[in-house]
Amino acid sequence: MSQQILILSQSHLEGTTDHVCQWLGHLGIPYLRMNGEDLFDMQHLGDLPGNDEIAVVWYRRKISSFPVKYSLKQADFQTQYTLKRFLADEFNGLHSLLFYTIDRQKWLNDPITEDNLNKLHVLALARKCGISTPFTEVVTTRAAIAQLLENYHEIIVKPVSECIFLEDTAGGQYKMLTKTIHQNNLQLVPEKFFPSLVQEKITKKFEIRTFYLDGECHSMAIFSQNNRKTKDDFRNYDNQRPNRTVPYKLPAALEFKLGQLMKLLCFRTGSIDLMVDMQGNYHFLEINPEGQFGMVSYPCNYYLERKVAQLLSKSISHEKEIYQ
Amino acid sequence: MEYFNLYANCQLVKGARMSLLCDLQMRRFYHIPNDTADVLLFLQQHSIEECMAHYGEDNREAITGYISFLLSKELGFKDNRLVPELTPLDLSWDRYSDITNVIIEFNEDISYTGDFFRELFDLHVQGLEIRCYHKTDLDRIRELLEVFNGTTLKFIKLVLPYEATLALPALDKLVKKYPRVRSLLIHSSPADKLEKIFDGSVPVVFFSSNINSCLACGEIRADYFMSNMELFTESQHFNTCLNRKLSIDGNGYIKNCPSLPESFGHVTKTSVREVLDNKAFQRYGKIRKDEITVCKDCEFRHVCTDCRAYVEDPQDMYSRPLKCGYDPYTNSWENWAENPLKQSAIAWYGLEEIIK
Repeated sequence: MSQQILILSQSHLEGTTDHVCQWLGHLGIPYLRMNGEDLFDMQHLGDLPGNDEIAVVWYRRKISSFPVKYSLKQADFQTQYTLKRFLADEFNGLHSLLFYTIDRQKWLNDPITEDNLNKLHVLALARKCGISTPFTEVVTTRAAIAQLLENYHEIIVKPVSECIFLEDTAGGQYKMLTKTIHQNNLQLVPEKFFPSLVQEKITKKFEIRTFYLDGECHSMAIFSQNNRKTKDDFRNYDNQRPNRTVPYKLPAALEFKLGQLMKLLCFRTGSIDLMVDMQGNYHFLEINPEGQFGMVSYPCNYYLERKVAQLLSKSISHEKEIYQ
Repeated sequence: MEYFNLYANCQLVKGARMSLLCDLQMRRFYHIPNDTADVLLFLQQHSIEECMAHYGEDNREAITGYISFLLSKELGFKDNRLVPELTPLDLSWDRYSDITNVIIEFNEDISYTGDFFRELFDLHVQGLEIRCYHKTDLDRIRELLEVFNGTTLKFIKLVLPYEATLALPALDKLVKKYPRVRSLLIHSSPADKLEKIFDGSVPVVFFSSNINSCLACGEIRADYFMSNMELFTESQHFNTCLNRKLSIDGNGYIKNCPSLPESFGHVTKTSVREVLDNKAFQRYGKIRKDEITVCKDCEFRHVCTDCRAYVEDPQDMYSRPLKCGYDPYTNSWENWAENPLKQSAIAWYGLEEIIK
């Protein structure tokens, strides 16, 4: 049996995977797509794809939502949350088995690093590669922030992990975004708080989103500065006046360093966030190894979905050469 | 030194006398004189001061006005240099489907579940138009819509004749059941009006004229122009009317477009592969607007839908759409049907009936 491409994704709300699969179909390249939801129909462990049949794995998504709803006999907000966490852990325990059964070098991105990516560690690695990053610290007191404000006009606070969406019992939804702290709102900060990541605030000319794919950087500039509403974080989408998104080419030296960083992390694909300050300096912010690239591909007409399909197909034709 | 940087997705298309500045991201376009376009082109190589010096003091005010217009529409920004890292937009075009759009002239007597249709929609067709020229049983339409559940088809447009019983609540129910239906055109309606259903997400256009045959198609109108990445890039390389398009006429014959005479087989006998491999089927697909007489001098050429079925000179594949009333040499619109030079072609296609 010839080895094939394995795509790990989810069954709903995953246009990017659909798009890549359609390119694979069009190019006549066979592939196996396993959605996390499929695990709810498995009969035994033998149903999981095995190492021998797989040449390359693109790990895109885990699952959209469990296809079956589980609830407590007696509804309780607190316990319901614990149950949700437990089921997520149970699912991850099964899903991540593949990380160990399929050879690590077959994955476009090392799956264990990808699932446990540490923002602080990535920033340190970036600096090691000679990439400039905003001054970053983790602090626990207002006094520490006050001291930072002596050196930096403004600082921002953002999670060490990922932003979350909160829901209250009434169904209200709240999203967590980057916030700015300066002399005028410092008094709102508690004297002592949970260890929090703070960063020097960089006045940006524009942001850059780079999709890194197997040694190449496909970059897009995002102009949001003239739009007060999105000054801190362009995820505060503004539909009336959307941000301008245009193709961009990073300096070769920076592309090279980003390539070094990706290699250190064993990633062949990923979305990289950068910022350009008013003086034109580049600042590295973070990497999202499974980051969206449709939002770069379409506005810049890059055909990244086709490029991903071609990279996957290269991996199987390469395998063929070895085994012939 | 100050420079004006034009965003790469704002593309300038020069015509004989006027130009079109197409904002492909915001999906808008700006009709500007060629003189303004020339200033804009000059600014892509030089500083604002150099531009003023080049065009002379007399034009300083005008150039300042152009730049503030461009800034106010957010088509670019001023900087102390022309930012070289802002690279030009790659205008290449490709799709993962051999056929991206399909038109079906609906006929209750044709089965739409056969091998041909399965093979066709397995190609990942993106858009489908289902045209009903005459009163059609809605249950039969539902049966057809059912076929597309679970396929990768994204967009269905329904063209139906007006019926008093076919009220908005009934249509709302229909589109909620078949969410791929993203737009409706109701022809032969008592009045022209636009309604929205499915919480405002699906437009229903009531159109007072009759669409009782494919002869009604192919009209070029300013409100059909679209400024977007898909059309603009495809138009650089292919024919936007017929590239990767396929139609099935009311008798089940496979065509480029219902309005074209050539057929490439019948849905009961021909395979999709045979049609795609037929060179004659592909011959319109590569005719670019840049190669069509008159159109190549028109500033609207890359936002236009084109028509290859009804052309000014029926013997010439490269002649302009017959049903276009725009003159790029005078920048005026006229009623194409009254143009004396078009009468012989109108007669040739037998269009006299529909333009009365």
